[in-house]
Amino acid sequence: MKKAPIIIMALVTALFVLSWIFKAISFQGTEEHFILSGFKYTLAAFLTLAIFSFLYRDNPFYKFAEHLFVGVSAAFWMTMGFWSTIVGNLIPRVSEDLSHFFEVPYEPASRNLFYFIPVFLGILLLMRLSSKYGWLSRWPLAFIVGTTAGFNFVRYLRSDFINQISATFIPLLVDWHGIGHFFSNLSLSSVGQLVTILSNLVLFLGVFCGLIYFFFSKEHKGAFGAASRVGIWILMITFGASFGYTVMGRISLLVGRLTFLFKDWLELIS
Amino acid sequence: MTMVDIGRLISLIFIGGGLLWLFISGLKGKEVDRRIIFLFIFLSVATPILFPITFGEKATPVVKAVFDKVESLPEGSRVLISFDFDPAMAPEVQPMANAITRHSLTKGHKVIFMSLFATGQALLTQSLRKVVGEEFPELEECKDYVNVGFKAGNEGVLNVIVTDFKKMFPTDVNNVPYDSIEVFDGIKSCKDIDLIVSIGGGMPGVKEWVLFVGDPGNVPVAAGVAAVVAPQMYPYYPEQILGILGGVKGAAEYESELIKNYPHFAEMDTPALRMMGPQTLAHMVIMIFIVIGNVLFFVSRRKRRGK
Amino acid sequence: MRNKLLLILCLLLVLGGAPTWAQEIDPLDTTAAVDSVALSSPAPVSMVQAKDKGNDHGHAVVISWELSADDSYGDKSVIQYEVFLWKPFLYDTIQTLRDRVGTAKAHLIAHDDDSRDWKKEFRRAQKEFDEIMKGLTEAHAAYPEGGEFVNVGKVPCGENSFKHIGSKGNESGTYLPDYTDFYYRVDAVTANSEIRSQSEIIGPVQCYGQWFNTGRNPVLAAVLIFGFLTLFFVKRARKGSKLYVRPIGGIEAVDDAIGRATEMGRPILYVMGLGTAADVATIASFTILGRVAKQVAEYQTQLIVPTYDPIVMSVGQEVVKSSYMDAGRADAYDKDIVFFVTQSQFAYVAAVNGIMLRDRPATCIYMGKFFAESLLLAETGSMAGSIQISGTDEVAQIPFFIVACDYTLIGEELYAASAYLGREPVLLGSLKAQDYAKAILLIFAVLGLVAANLDFNVFTELFHVTN
Repeated sequence: MKKAPIIIMALVTALFVLSWIFKAISFQGTEEHFILSGFKYTLAAFLTLAIFSFLYRDNPFYKFAEHLFVGVSAAFWMTMGFWSTIVGNLIPRVSEDLSHFFEVPYEPASRNLFYFIPVFLGILLLMRLSSKYGWLSRWPLAFIVGTTAGFNFVRYLRSDFINQISATFIPLLVDWHGIGHFFSNLSLSSVGQLVTILSNLVLFLGVFCGLIYFFFSKEHKGAFGAASRVGIWILMITFGASFGYTVMGRISLLVGRLTFLFKDWLELIS
Repeated sequence: MTMVDIGRLISLIFIGGGLLWLFISGLKGKEVDRRIIFLFIFLSVATPILFPITFGEKATPVVKAVFDKVESLPEGSRVLISFDFDPAMAPEVQPMANAITRHSLTKGHKVIFMSLFATGQALLTQSLRKVVGEEFPELEECKDYVNVGFKAGNEGVLNVIVTDFKKMFPTDVNNVPYDSIEVFDGIKSCKDIDLIVSIGGGMPGVKEWVLFVGDPGNVPVAAGVAAVVAPQMYPYYPEQILGILGGVKGAAEYESELIKNYPHFAEMDTPALRMMGPQTLAHMVIMIFIVIGNVLFFVSRRKRRGK
Repeated sequence: MRNKLLLILCLLLVLGGAPTWAQEIDPLDTTAAVDSVALSSPAPVSMVQAKDKGNDHGHAVVISWELSADDSYGDKSVIQYEVFLWKPFLYDTIQTLRDRVGTAKAHLIAHDDDSRDWKKEFRRAQKEFDEIMKGLTEAHAAYPEGGEFVNVGKVPCGENSFKHIGSKGNESGTYLPDYTDFYYRVDAVTANSEIRSQSEIIGPVQCYGQWFNTGRNPVLAAVLIFGFLTLFFVKRARKGSKLYVRPIGGIEAVDDAIGRATEMGRPILYVMGLGTAADVATIASFTILGRVAKQVAEYQTQLIVPTYDPIVMSVGQEVVKSSYMDAGRADAYDKDIVFFVTQSQFAYVAAVNGIMLRDRPATCIYMGKFFAESLLLAETGSMAGSIQISGTDEVAQIPFFIVACDYTLIGEELYAASAYLGREPVLLGSLKAQDYAKAILLIFAVLGLVAANLDFNVFTELFHVTN
């Protein structure tokens, strides 16, 4: 084994222990358990820095943090699913003894044999683990896919289609009392008449031209092509805005992590 | 001049000088290692954290709509705040959740807290401890607010609670039965709730609340979303979503509106407003990068053509 | 505050009232009684009507009336209307039993009192309760014997209807049974709640649930139109009708990119993203992979397909194999062209990035469902000097692909590309149906715009979905 990795590993371990000791000292006298709190903060800082180290290049610390994250989050989701759905929703409705065992309030009035149907489908889903009876898991999957598609189809049609169409039914000349009134009250306020008229115009043209761009049954030539080009321009502006928003989001996450490092770990700021 | 001012000045000079060096070396045709770019971003974010730079914020109509809705609801109205986010999104959206929680509780609304993300429940508990526990110690759980926690099932959960809340949440997180919780008096489903605030950015999130609860139940939905998904939420405003807090900027606007109307909140923690300093500096550095990149692109193109 | 209200009210009464007073005083605040002012009975409401509230699961009645002649003005000012329902005295017994059931249930849940057998008590009380509930409809039918009118709600002056929405479950005190005769009365109430006028009694009225919610007709219409269009075009495509799909820029570029890779003697990397085999984007990606694999087989270029999902890998192998066979190069097919990497998002990205940097593919194609890894992949590909073509329906990721790739299929273009290449009847038919739906949408948008500008609300109301 090469010497450099061993030295780096030893150095990181030493820094980790040192940080743990210092953090534990800083927690002495507080309500929290000082050794445990010291460990918690040091581990969080170590994992943050391990992930940041990827910016330099891929390394074992990054891989360790990534795998730990994947494993812990999978286990966390599974545990929460068990306690909130099986223990929280199912058991109080099917068994009094089990309710007492898990210390959840028993719901005698909600007792219903229908609740055994999802239990049965759930067991079928677990059949996936068996190579012989794995095909049985397709039934509950079909049920899930079918019901989800059905629910979503109607919901999307209503919210994303019908409601969105009616949202484009907007007056282009808002609060219109003639040209003279328009110019005498001209303002660049975001709620002013001019901006509202322009917004409505952009909204309508954006929907119209954007839809034309995604029309595949006709070649984009002439006026149709021009509208399609306007459509792609509007799409690009939207993507630009989206990109800008994403940058803001990413910077916020970085601020969050750096604040943790400077404030909670290193205590450089109050 | 204080030490903070000196620190701020030195950092800004360092960043400015560095950018100039970057531009000059670019003009000379040298390739810049991407890690240097990362270093600049780190400096531009770290400087305002260590040496705070603050900016004033003014609520835009889209944010103010949410504030006004919470403000205009009569005392005792039921407000549901759903923490639909995980730790990865928390720095961006948790300030929104905290600010809306503060506002709702100050107005005397009865607040129902829940989460559609498993990891959101821990963040919800954190917010309750920090905001409710520290700032509203007089409020009683189950009477003034309730935490029903996380429930697995994504939009399936919403599909049930739009007609029957108790079916999905027979108890709160502390196993208190639904019927014994005062906040739920007169609430059978989400249709009986006066305002739903979904704070999130992933799936399930605001969109699912609109599709499965807001539209079918005719319940007002307000959104607090991570910046990445904010543009996708605008088509729903103002008909299907009454207002949107987009990213940390939206949160900062809400915090500033809160301070404007309730000056005592200036004493409280306002993380989003604090974040606007690093945001502004980092954005400026990124914009300078874009300008430098474009200038160098055109210069190098001209050089190539000249050859 | 009380004195102030009194003063305002007196002033209004003296001045003959102003229409704005209701905004300043809470009309429901009956505590502001003005005993000092002599009020006579106001005119009662007229034309009282009661009917089942439609489009629901039952348990609700709508009561409407014509406003009292003294509504919110005059010296007999009506400030609110109170709605009364005739209830038999049986409800008292029902409530007692309901409380017994509730107490037994609470002890059963809390498990806090072993002095009694609460399970037995719960069952007994529940049985008695169920038994007595059976007689409720008959008790209502016995009107006017053995009952009295009970206040069930109130509305402020100016409003002429009230929705009496009861509970569906009989465990609630607000339970309103279906198919039962109800009798209602509406009282016009003045500031002094003692001074009021009763309307005539309206009834019998029954509530019941509906099988069909007419408020959602627009959704039904949309489902039928889409369903019809899809079936129609799929059938046409199956019959062999030529359905035109315009050429798509990104797809044309795929052919050039394959040619470039062949000339350079470098491989083509095809990434299908993180979607499962059931995702529409992944299904579209299979079709495009088939086309790419066929050309690759013809040109004898190297193809690398690392996958994230084992099922996607199996399907991908089948697709590539059949493409090689179609190209007459079955012998050149190697099942390791499509291989499984890992199901960990960033580990998968690390592996694909490693391939890009080691094998330096001439062309990278990203088609399918992508998430946070989109920019990491496209950026590395760009650094490796590859021509990059991407396509995804994940709106949040499209901007990243646009900035880092040479060609990007935006959203629906990915599905269109797969229909264009595959000529599969189902895909082509659905694409055509979507196009026609878009055309309908465009027409409606224009008509709606005209209607909104001309204040022609009948048209816009057609799209109004109620609950």
